[in-house]
Amino acid sequence: MRYLPLIWAAIMRKPTRTVLTLLSVTVAFTLFGLMIGLNATFDMVAEKARADRIFTWPRFGGNGVPVAVARQVAAIPGVKAVTAMNFLPGYVQDPKNQVFVLMVDQNVASVFGDYGVSPEQWNVVWKDRTGIVMSRMQAQRWHKKIGDTFTMISKQIKRADGKTSWDFKVLAIVDDIPQAGNGFIFGNYDYIDKAKPPADQGKVNEVDLLADDPAASSAVAERIDHAFANSATPMQTITEKLARSGNDFGGLDIKKITHGIALAGMFMVLFLTGNGIAESVRERFAEFATLKTIGFTDRAVTIMVVLESALPCIIGAALGVGVAAVLARQIPKLMPPNFGIPLPTISPMVLVWAAASAVVVALLSAALPILRLTRMDIASALSGRT
Amino acid sequence: MNILRQIGIVSLINFRSIRLRLWRSLVIVVGMACVIGVLLSMLSLTEGMLAAYMKTGDPGRALVVSAGSQSEGNSSIPRDKARLIMDAPGIAKAPDGSPLADPGINSGVPVYRLNGRRAYNILRGFGSKGVMLRPEFHMVSGRMFRSGTRELIVGVSAKSQFKDMNVGDKVILPDGEWPIVGSFTTGDLLDGQLIGDTETVMKAIRRPAYNSILVRLASPSSFSAFKGALTTNPALAVDPMLQTEWYKKISEGFSTFFKVIAYGIGIIMAVGALFGCLNTMYAAVAARGREIATLRAIGYGAFPVAVSVILEAAVLSVTGALIGASIAWALYDGVVGSFGSNVFKLTVSPALIGMAILWAAAVAVLGGFFPSIRAARRPVVEALRAT
Repeated sequence: MRYLPLIWAAIMRKPTRTVLTLLSVTVAFTLFGLMIGLNATFDMVAEKARADRIFTWPRFGGNGVPVAVARQVAAIPGVKAVTAMNFLPGYVQDPKNQVFVLMVDQNVASVFGDYGVSPEQWNVVWKDRTGIVMSRMQAQRWHKKIGDTFTMISKQIKRADGKTSWDFKVLAIVDDIPQAGNGFIFGNYDYIDKAKPPADQGKVNEVDLLADDPAASSAVAERIDHAFANSATPMQTITEKLARSGNDFGGLDIKKITHGIALAGMFMVLFLTGNGIAESVRERFAEFATLKTIGFTDRAVTIMVVLESALPCIIGAALGVGVAAVLARQIPKLMPPNFGIPLPTISPMVLVWAAASAVVVALLSAALPILRLTRMDIASALSGRT
Repeated sequence: MNILRQIGIVSLINFRSIRLRLWRSLVIVVGMACVIGVLLSMLSLTEGMLAAYMKTGDPGRALVVSAGSQSEGNSSIPRDKARLIMDAPGIAKAPDGSPLADPGINSGVPVYRLNGRRAYNILRGFGSKGVMLRPEFHMVSGRMFRSGTRELIVGVSAKSQFKDMNVGDKVILPDGEWPIVGSFTTGDLLDGQLIGDTETVMKAIRRPAYNSILVRLASPSSFSAFKGALTTNPALAVDPMLQTEWYKKISEGFSTFFKVIAYGIGIIMAVGALFGCLNTMYAAVAARGREIATLRAIGYGAFPVAVSVILEAAVLSVTGALIGASIAWALYDGVVGSFGSNVFKLTVSPALIGMAILWAAAVAVLGGFFPSIRAARRPVVEALRAT
């Protein structure tokens, strides 16, 4: 602690340099926070994925499979609960404002209980065929509150009456959950089914289920694939755990990309802070010689340089991660609506990584100057012959 | 003495002294190299994918999908409507006098990526005119599928992303396994896909309707007649589009998506590099205080001094950008990558490198501006006295 005034004097020797270095470090850690935060989100989603939940859908796409498939799935050993859904893709006013409504049947609560919709809220929705539940994020995006009408256009789903617009009533708004990064909207399966032409009715796009035993869910998934393999409706089945694991984004390895970007940012500041500290030590070489002459040990000098190097790194890291946390919350407002990217989460792990990286950058930056200082020839340094 | 000559001389002094402040100067170079390396690496994906989309489109061909379709897979054109479309005016004729038009199928096929994860590849159906419509199509090995037979051919790039995509492998379709009997190249998106006989594939995947109709236009000017005939026909609810227009439309979503992310990250990094640049240039100006003052004392103007500072920053910054661009180019240009079902070559194009140089120049101008003013404004006497 008694070195603090010395360190402070060293840091404030060139205030412009200090402030600019601090800003650079802050920016680099903003990027670091966003990138590692994105990883944290993916990790959290993977972790929160339920081991017992399984998704199955028609292997070869198309208009969906008969709703009877849901009953056949329910009869497969090891299956606890089954719900079937239809997809309603479309847009609000402008094709740029894409929206997606999951039209679910009344068993949904038994499979998606963790989505935070209470039995009372479901009951309200089931009473009105056009009712929907919105998560808060979606409600904000479309500026809806309970009781509002929500109208969307869907050109993909044909209605018997030839219309392309779908009117809904917002009957419940619930909190978002990490598994659904862009929020969610649940509607009533009966509404979409009855609106379709008779030939298209009675079809489902996806069947979701819970396994009795989470440990057996992969086996149950395989059983489903197998049961339908040679039927008129081959299915493609995957456990939620597998679907959410591995940072896979259309084949891109998110972890590799975010780590690469964060690393490039760190390398950039390492070069900058390393130079700054080397320059600062070089300018004060004679002063360090004086300190050593009056009895400062190598250890003391080392500690001083490390602290001088660490202070802007750690403050910058803290500021940068703070800015990242604020930016992360602004991302939905900065990006086009329904942008399919999850928000970075500044989790405790992100803080730990940021702190560790700041320390590593500080130590690496200080290493060479310290080596020079400990090896310095005091006499020649004092006389300015360095 | 004219201003240009002064700028030249002052800059020369600056550049010669860079050696003395080598590490400081390298901060700008390394900073910009990191910014541009990351930016161009990310953009190489978008650029490559866009290029593949654009190459797949041919302005001499038109694609017809059902009204409002956002993808070929979501489009549906029943057989009777397909006949109406193929009889429309404006379509080129095949040697036998029939319209040069082909009804197509576009379906997802579950496959595994090389890393073991599940994905979908695209299975296209070619009718009898599928090849005639696409002069870019060539067989590479094996043979063409026979019409009416459960056989597939595969694009040459598919095997670099997905498992079991070689000639001799089998693909599982709803009615069992289909052998791959040949491989082809078109030099565009189709190089990552599977192709079979339209009618046979439709039977296998139980599709009653086609997805789209591809036609060759009799001439570039005949598109309006073709489009007019389809859009005014009350029996049809379809969107006829030049194939180039179609690929432009369906690439908008992902290209905006990736560009927003890449430029967002690029801008954050550039701001970091900007502070580094300011830092270095302030130090450079301070270190040369006496030389600058001497020049001013013997009659050099403030403007040449200021400009030379920005020039120095620009040279360092552009050098860094070129290094970053070279790294991105060496790592990614021409590498076969994939996103979703698309297989394409990542591209670090000259246009991207040009943009990188503009970014570097912008950072240099912003990062050199205030230091240059400080250099130019410093009182000569004070600077001469300074140590």
